[in-house]
Amino acid sequence: MASEKIGKVVEMSILTRIRRIPFWSWFWFILGALYFLLPLYATVNFSLRMERDVIGFKAYVRAFEDPEFIKTFLYSNMLALLTIVASIILIVPTAYWIRLRLPEARRIVEFITLLPFVVPAIILVFGLIRIYSSPVKIPFTDTTLLQPLTTFEVGTDILIVAGYVVLGLPYMYRSVDTGMRTVDVRTLTEAAQSLGASWFTIIVRVILPNIRAALLSGALLTFAIVVGEVTLASFLGVPAFGPYLFLLGQHRAYEPAALSFASFLLTWVAMGLIQLFTGGQGQTTGAH
Amino acid sequence: MSYLSISHVTKKFGDTVVVDDFNLDIEKGEFVSFLGPSGCGKTTTLRMVAGFEIPTSGKILLNGADITDKAPNQRNVGMIFQSYALFPNMTVAQNIGFGLRIRKEPEATVKQRVDEMVSLINLEKHANKYPYQLSGGQQQRVSLARALANRPQVLLLDEPLSALDAKIRVSLRAEIRAIQKSLGITAIFVTHDQEEALSISDRIVVMNTGVMEQVGTPFEIYNFPTTVFAANFVGSLNNSSAEVVDPANSLISIDGVQFESAVDLKQRRKGDKVRVAIRPERLSFASEQKKANVVDATIENVTFLGSVVRIQVKIGQTKFNMDTFNNPFLELPKIGSMEQVTCSREAVLVLDE
Ligand SMILES: Nc1ncnc2c1ncn2[C@@H]1O[C@H](COP(=O)(O)OP(=O)(O)O)[C@@H](O)[C@H]1O
Ligand SMILES: [Mg+2]
Repeated sequence: MASEKIGKVVEMSILTRIRRIPFWSWFWFILGALYFLLPLYATVNFSLRMERDVIGFKAYVRAFEDPEFIKTFLYSNMLALLTIVASIILIVPTAYWIRLRLPEARRIVEFITLLPFVVPAIILVFGLIRIYSSPVKIPFTDTTLLQPLTTFEVGTDILIVAGYVVLGLPYMYRSVDTGMRTVDVRTLTEAAQSLGASWFTIIVRVILPNIRAALLSGALLTFAIVVGEVTLASFLGVPAFGPYLFLLGQHRAYEPAALSFASFLLTWVAMGLIQLFTGGQGQTTGAH
Repeated sequence: MSYLSISHVTKKFGDTVVVDDFNLDIEKGEFVSFLGPSGCGKTTTLRMVAGFEIPTSGKILLNGADITDKAPNQRNVGMIFQSYALFPNMTVAQNIGFGLRIRKEPEATVKQRVDEMVSLINLEKHANKYPYQLSGGQQQRVSLARALANRPQVLLLDEPLSALDAKIRVSLRAEIRAIQKSLGITAIFVTHDQEEALSISDRIVVMNTGVMEQVGTPFEIYNFPTTVFAANFVGSLNNSSAEVVDPANSLISIDGVQFESAVDLKQRRKGDKVRVAIRPERLSFASEQKKANVVDATIENVTFLGSVVRIQVKIGQTKFNMDTFNNPFLELPKIGSMEQVTCSREAVLVLDE
C-alpha cells in the first residue's frame, strides 16, 4: 500500500514537472533554432568538402591565401575603423547635448537616425555620387575649393566613410543614447563643472568612460556593417571586402562558404565581447 | 560688506516667476538654510549661486566680485547633490582628487590633499573603492570631501540627506555641520525638512512660492514666526481666526474666549480679524496660582506619542493640540472632562489673517 502511494507521488511530480515546461514553448524554440542553424550547418558542411570524399580545410586555406582577400579585408577594416572614429566624434557630443540642453529635440533626432532604415543604401550612394562628382566650390563664386571627391582616392575614401557613418547611425546613436540614460549625465556634468572642468574635460574624462560599454557595442555593430557592405563600396568603386566576397561568390563555390562561416565566427566573437563588457558588470559599475 | 550677497534676484522660466526679488546677505563662515515646500524655488536659487542658472534680473556678489553671469567652472563653488553625483568610473580617491587635477595641482599636493579629505570623512579604508561599493551615506560623504578638496568659497548643498534613511540622515547632518564649523566654510543648505533646518543652521530662510517669507535664526523662526506660512511650516501649530478686542491691552478673542498676547496690537483696531497661533507645547493645564490666559477647555482626545502626550482640547468652538512631556506618574485626563488650560502671553502669536 505504502509503496504504491509513494510510486503515485513520484509519478505525479514527474508529470507536473513536464507540465511546467510548456510544450509549445519548446516547439517554437526548436523551430526557431533549426531555422537558424540548418543553413549554417549546410554552409559549414559544404565548405569542408572542397576535395572529393575528404573532409578538410582546403577551401579555407585557399580563401585566406588569396592576396586579394588580405588586401580588401585590411582595406575594409581601415574603413570600419575610420567610420567608428568619425561616428563617435559626431554622435557622442550630439547625443550628449540633446540630453543636456535640448530634450525636446530627442524625437526629431531619433527619427533622423532611423532614416537609413527607410532610405536604401543604393539611393544614398547615388545621392553622394550626384553631388560630389562635381567640383566643390565656394558658394556664389567660381572659385573651386576642391576637385570632385569621386575623382581621387582619398576623396572617395572620405565619401564612403561619410556614407558608412550614415548607415551606422541608427546603431551608434541608439547605443550611445541608451548608455547616457543609464548614467545621470546631467548631474554628473554639473558636478564636474562645479569642480572646474571644461566641456572637453567633461566629455573625455567623465562622459566617455561611463558609456564605454555602449560605445563598444555601437562600434562592433558598425564594424559588422562596414566590413560586409556591398552597395556603397561597389558603386564608388573601392577595393573593399564586400564586393570581393560578392565576386568570389560568382566565380567560386567552396571559398565563399568558407569565408561566410569565418565571418560568422568573427561576429560571434564580437557579440561575446559585447556580452563580456556589458552583461557582467553593468555599464555604470565598470572598473578600470 | 557681506561675503555672499544675493540682491534683488528674480528668475523667470518663460512667464512663470520662480524666484521673486530674493535678497540675502550671508557672512563668511555662516551656515544658512533655505527651507520651504517642494517647488518653492530653493533649488533654482541655489543653482543661480552655483552658476547653472542665470538670474533674469538682480546681482550675486561673492567676496566683492560680481559673479552673476560667470560660468559654473569659473566660480569656486562646491556643490552637493541629492543623488551624490559621484563619477562612477573613478575610485573614492580619484573622485576627491578630480577638481585638484583639473587645476593642474602637482601630483604630490593632490595626494596629500586627498589623504587629508579621506580622513576628514573617515573613509580611509575605502579610498580605493568605487562608488557603487559604498552605502548612500558613505557616497554622500565622498561627495562632500570632493567638493571640499577644492577649498570652495561657498559650499552649496541641495537636499543632500533626502535620499538617506532616517538614522544616517541625523548623524550625517551633525557631521556636515561639524566639518563646516571646523573649516569655517560658508554654506547654503537646501531642505524641505524643518527639523533638519532648525538643527543645523545659523540662519534659516523660509521660502514659499518663490518669495522669502522670513529670515532669522532657528530660535527666532520657531518662536516668533512673522507670517502664517512660516508659523505653519515650521513646527506644528494650533491656529485659529480671532478678533481684536482691546488693542491697547493686546486682548483678542477666539470664539468669545479672551486671550492676552505679548504682541503689540496698537496698530490694529477693535474688531479687526487676525490669525492667532499657539504652539502645542506652550499650552498646559492651569495650576493653582492665577495667571493670565486661564481658560476652560473640554478634553477631546488623548494620544500617546512616546516622549510626548498630545491632548486635544476644545476651547470655545476651536480644537487645540496641547503637548506635555511623558512621565510614568502622569495622570491623564478623562476624555469629556472639563479642565482649565493656560498659556503665557508670549505664546499667543498674532499674525495677519
Ligand atoms: N528649467 C526649468 N524650466 C522650467 N521650470 C522650471 C525649471 N526648473 C525649475 N522649474 C520650476 O520652478 C519651480 C521651482 O523649482 P525648484 O527651484 O526646483 O523648487 P524646489 O527646489 O524648492 O523644490 C518649480 O515649479 C519648477 O517646476
Ligand atoms: Mg529642489
